[in-house]
Amino acid sequence: MMTAVVLAAMLGAVLLAAVYRENGSQAILLPDQVMTLFPAPKPLAAFAFTDHENRVFDLSRLKGKWSFLFFGYTHCPDICPMTLATLARAHESIAKTTAGAKDVQFVFISVDPSRDTAGKLGEYVTYFDTSFLGVTGSSAQLGNLAGQLGAAYEVAITPGTDNYPVYHTAAVFLVDPRARYHAVFAPPLDAEGISRRFKVLRELEGPKAT
Amino acid sequence: MRWRDPVFFGLILALIPIAAASEEGGVSVRDAWVREMPRGVAMTAGYMVLQNKTSRPQVLVAARSSGFETVTIHHTIAKESMTGMEHAPQIELLPNASLLFAPGGYHLMLSNPKRTLRAGDRVDITLEFRGGLVLPVAYEVRK
Repeated sequence: MMTAVVLAAMLGAVLLAAVYRENGSQAILLPDQVMTLFPAPKPLAAFAFTDHENRVFDLSRLKGKWSFLFFGYTHCPDICPMTLATLARAHESIAKTTAGAKDVQFVFISVDPSRDTAGKLGEYVTYFDTSFLGVTGSSAQLGNLAGQLGAAYEVAITPGTDNYPVYHTAAVFLVDPRARYHAVFAPPLDAEGISRRFKVLRELEGPKAT
Repeated sequence: MRWRDPVFFGLILALIPIAAASEEGGVSVRDAWVREMPRGVAMTAGYMVLQNKTSRPQVLVAARSSGFETVTIHHTIAKESMTGMEHAPQIELLPNASLLFAPGGYHLMLSNPKRTLRAGDRVDITLEFRGGLVLPVAYEVRK
């Protein structure tokens, strides 16, 4: 019974949630499999990572900007480069709007801190887009933020080998300028699908959020 | 009986290897590429369209290249709400079918390249099929 109620609530949220506007005139509500918007964005609690320039990356770094967060690892040859390349194209498209991309940041969160040093993360993320940030932290801190976003990951570290499997959520999480978990983009991701929805969302939320 | 005619029988026998050879030629690859990766990254992936134009199933069992430490056939899969990679020990190609190796699906996982690969470079990888068929393929490095 409880499960059914929760399920119904989740379905309701998805149906109500996705907003996007065609032709630039009227906001309409449509079910959308690309972006799930939360009717009541969830304020995130404190966490502490280190970015690829060895600076602290905590909750305060999420404030004042829209943040696209993606969990992955640099030994990931398929999904991670594909997603980062998609996000780089989305960034390019957002930058072309009148509002620009000054209030937007893209953060790659490595769930593999034992292999992904700051130096490696920096080389990796900036290859796709020079503005991208790479961050990582202790497994407790990774679990903390992943838990708040409902992002799952699993690192099967095998001592003695540098080659172990990693599983991670392939979704992209959107945190608003008040550091609230606002929306999530589900794979398969495409740059146009992300940027088009984001531009509408920012326009609708903009004045309230900043 | 014609079957007893040694000349005719010999002709049939002679044709068998030709038929077999042309069937082998029916496995091909197009649009083969390897993803350029940032400097110092140990892993990349190879993609292609693998075509089996023979009338028999063909089973890809291995891939090798002198340009990498290891080459393994992988498949990106969904596991619960997560994504990960799984080793695919073999892949069967149905007769007259194509199989797409593309981002988010099947790929050749290429580890520890012996040299830095840049867009436009060429990478040689040999695909091995059950029954001994080998197919050398040139992959283009792309961004």
